[in-house]
Amino acid sequence: MEENLLQIKNDALSLIFETEDPKSLEELKLQFLGRSGRLTLAFKEIAGLPLEKRAEIGKLGNEIKKVIEDAIADRAMELKKSAQKKQKNNLDITNPGIKPPLGHLHLVTQAIEEITSIFEKIGITRVRYPEVEWDYYAFTALNFPANHPARDDWETFFTTDNTDSKKGQIVLTPHTSNGQVREMEKAVEESKKTKMPINIRMLNIAKCYRRQSDVSHTQMFHQFEGLVVGKNISISHLKGVLEYFVKSYFGEKREFRIRPYHFQFTEPSFEIDVTCGVCLGKGCKLCKAGWLEMGGAGMVHPNVLNYGKIDPTIYTGFAFGWGVERVLMMKEGIEIDDLRLLYSNKLEFLEQF
Amino acid sequence: MDIKILDSHLREHLQTNAKPTDIARVLSLTSASIERVEKFGASTDFVYSVEITTNRPDMVSVRGIAREAATVLPQFGFSAKLLPLDLKVPKLETKDKLTIDIKNDPKLVYRICAVIMEVEMKDSPKYIKERLEAAGIRSLNNIIDVTNYIMLEMGHPSHVFDYDRLHTKRLIIRESKKGEKVVTLDKKEHTLLGGDIIADNGKGEIIDLLGVMGTLNSVVTNNTKRILFFLDNNDPWKIRKTSMGLAIRTEAAALNEKGVDAELAYNALLRGVEIYKKDANAKVASDIIDIYPKKNKPTTIKTTGKKISQSIGVEVPVKKSVEILKSLGFDVKGAGDVLYATPPTWREKDVTIEEDLVEEVARVYGYHNIPSKLPTFDRATYYHLDKSQFYWEQKIKNALRDWGFTEVYTYSLVAKNLLTNPLEKVVTLRNPLDEEHVYLRTGLSTSLAAVLQENKIMENVCIFELANVYKKQVKVLPKEILTLGILIKGKMQNGETVNFYHAKGIVEEVAVILGVKNLKFYEHLENKTGAYVNIGDEELGEITIFDNIDGKGVIVELNFDLLRTHANAKKTYTPLPKYPPVVEDITIVVEPNIKTGDIIDTIKKQSSLVNEVILSGTYQNSRTFHILYLDKNKNLTTEDVAKIREKITKILSEKFSAVVK
Repeated sequence: MEENLLQIKNDALSLIFETEDPKSLEELKLQFLGRSGRLTLAFKEIAGLPLEKRAEIGKLGNEIKKVIEDAIADRAMELKKSAQKKQKNNLDITNPGIKPPLGHLHLVTQAIEEITSIFEKIGITRVRYPEVEWDYYAFTALNFPANHPARDDWETFFTTDNTDSKKGQIVLTPHTSNGQVREMEKAVEESKKTKMPINIRMLNIAKCYRRQSDVSHTQMFHQFEGLVVGKNISISHLKGVLEYFVKSYFGEKREFRIRPYHFQFTEPSFEIDVTCGVCLGKGCKLCKAGWLEMGGAGMVHPNVLNYGKIDPTIYTGFAFGWGVERVLMMKEGIEIDDLRLLYSNKLEFLEQF
Repeated sequence: MDIKILDSHLREHLQTNAKPTDIARVLSLTSASIERVEKFGASTDFVYSVEITTNRPDMVSVRGIAREAATVLPQFGFSAKLLPLDLKVPKLETKDKLTIDIKNDPKLVYRICAVIMEVEMKDSPKYIKERLEAAGIRSLNNIIDVTNYIMLEMGHPSHVFDYDRLHTKRLIIRESKKGEKVVTLDKKEHTLLGGDIIADNGKGEIIDLLGVMGTLNSVVTNNTKRILFFLDNNDPWKIRKTSMGLAIRTEAAALNEKGVDAELAYNALLRGVEIYKKDANAKVASDIIDIYPKKNKPTTIKTTGKKISQSIGVEVPVKKSVEILKSLGFDVKGAGDVLYATPPTWREKDVTIEEDLVEEVARVYGYHNIPSKLPTFDRATYYHLDKSQFYWEQKIKNALRDWGFTEVYTYSLVAKNLLTNPLEKVVTLRNPLDEEHVYLRTGLSTSLAAVLQENKIMENVCIFELANVYKKQVKVLPKEILTLGILIKGKMQNGETVNFYHAKGIVEEVAVILGVKNLKFYEHLENKTGAYVNIGDEELGEITIFDNIDGKGVIVELNFDLLRTHANAKKTYTPLPKYPPVVEDITIVVEPNIKTGDIIDTIKKQSSLVNEVILSGTYQNSRTFHILYLDKNKNLTTEDVAKIREKITKILSEKFSAVVK
């Protein structure tokens, strides 16, 4: 009997160690410990032994049962570990990921969103005015004399629509500055209603159009126009907003400078340069002695305030109008060699961003 | 305007201890941008590339830059002085005095300075050749080169006629008539537009296109012995019109159209004579002609120290302002805080109001010396998320991106073949740049389809654009309607081949994002397949299915302005159900012409306990509906549901002859 039990133990242990998969391990468990398993049957035999032997053999049987149970549990654990290891070896983390569908916003949209949020933080918020505009808002009210070159057929697009006796021809606005006097008219109305002083903090972002097309110009482009009007607004404020924008948008390593310039609707007028993102001001092929032109700005011309029905002896203001595409391309890493690529809509290009 | 000048030339007029790079930096910050300072060839000289704004024609010359530099350099700690011109008025040097009869029109030409000289034609000396070359002007001979040299040095354009080719010895200044013809000195024939400033020889022949370019019949030739050296100061706008209209973009025209100081003309003439004498052995053969009917008088401008300081945003002492203005050639008078400033003649067109004086003071004071301040917040306009058009635009763009769409920007200007409306309803450009961009589009679908042409290689395309379309109106500006266009070709990002239902699903989800309710779909009545979409009674847009050379797919066009006016950011809370719903599927067989929408409506009407009905599957003529029954107040029993189901089964077979499986 004793031999029989030991034989069962040996058989069980050797079979357990030879087992390579959890399924046959389960089968072994049944084969030995199941209702009609070999050990279970052996226990039944123990019941038939003489009383004095029964206790001793019974004890041995129980010990063997525990040994077999432990061996099965250990082997099961081992098999599980080696399965995991095997699985891990099958994982190739260099295979491409399965991606959720993700599209792309156009670079110009991304730039507009960034610019909008930068200005919003200092209380200059976005508005929208017509792209197809009266000559009055695009030129006359901005202090452009009747014979100014910008009003030539060579520079601005005119429509064949009828001319209005007061507002003139209908043009495709060549700049976002058409929003200036419109915004002033709105502010004057508001001020009448609220009996509060005029306080303009405008950001006008829109499509603009000019009659030119080459590597750095497209017939359609985007500008963002800032207009701030209030009491005692000075060049110093313009410089503050400018510095805030340049450092926010281009990063703190980039410097800027203000140069005198000439525009009809501002006096004084400025041209703003920012140091080149490639050479950071040292001078390289992509820039002019370390500088890149960002765009124009200036103090609102008193004639323009007058057109907007705002008294220039009480209020002053500043304005700037910069190209969205321009600032985008001045950003580090986006030196696109042909601006027309932005509107060619080659998906290979758009999907880069 | 851009000019290039040599450092050695500049220093003939400017005495300074500033190095070329210093001059470039200081001028850039205060007056005109020096884009580059480079070594000139193999010499020790430097070339400055100067960009001058249109309001500063007084700086488009060596002398003009020297004058400005002499003012601004001392502000930066350099010594600088403008060297005086030592010009003598020449006397008659020939036996016979020659004459020319000039009849001016003072409305067209403000000043004429002229003189006749006997000359010897040869090559120009080295210094003139070099300076012209540096400026990008080709040297021809010592007679013609002087005209360019004088413009470069003094800033006033000039011209030489062959005196002997002026057969009538008469110059009558008049406006051209439309259709008159001239041959310019570059041997090109031009038909005049009318209103050009020309010189007539008294016989109706045009012998000069003033301020723009000489004519072939009167210019100097290799045989020229006697010249009429001629400086004309013209109406800038007329010059611009002629130059642009005839596409003759000469340096002289570019300068003349900006308005040149008439005071310059006389000194420029004298300087020219001086050079002709030196380099062409010239002998003065006439009196100096100076026709100057009306001198301009610069306006005196009143301002205050307070105004200047307030505009700049920093306290500038009155003494400092006066000093700066005087250094720029202004005549300044005043007492206490009040100033009366009169600009010099060369700035009279540019400086006319108080703000111009602020600019003069500020730029010389130095923009880099002005502190940066942010404007303060006095108050702000109230902001309501749901009223902000930009909020909704951004939200929908982000959603489409997250669904796998790529945003495109196509031109609002399109060619005729991309138009979707009859010509008379389309805003048209009078002066398009090319044939591809002539009309303002009335829809986005053709522009999006054109993107497919650009990307033929791509089998699957998911794109969208949010842009204006334009509706022509009478007597008012065209209506700009912000439109959402979506195009899908081939397979969606999830691998399914696109069909009408994907497009419909997108429209429905767009509405959900915007909180827009009451969407209605109507079948296309025309030959197109697809649907019109409404919000209630208002037309929102359409879904079109295409199957053509571009491929197979769908296009959606929605009026985004309308969507936005119905947009709603309001969130409402519905208490979660306390009792579980009962869910069951009903499968019916019906004719294909029965609309699923009608079946769903009918099922819903049978009981208020029918909470939701969804078409969960179709197979041949059978359709399976997923019905969710829910009672907010109690647990539904099998009997409750059975009763409703019976009702549904009955009505479906009565109304739609449906066979319930």
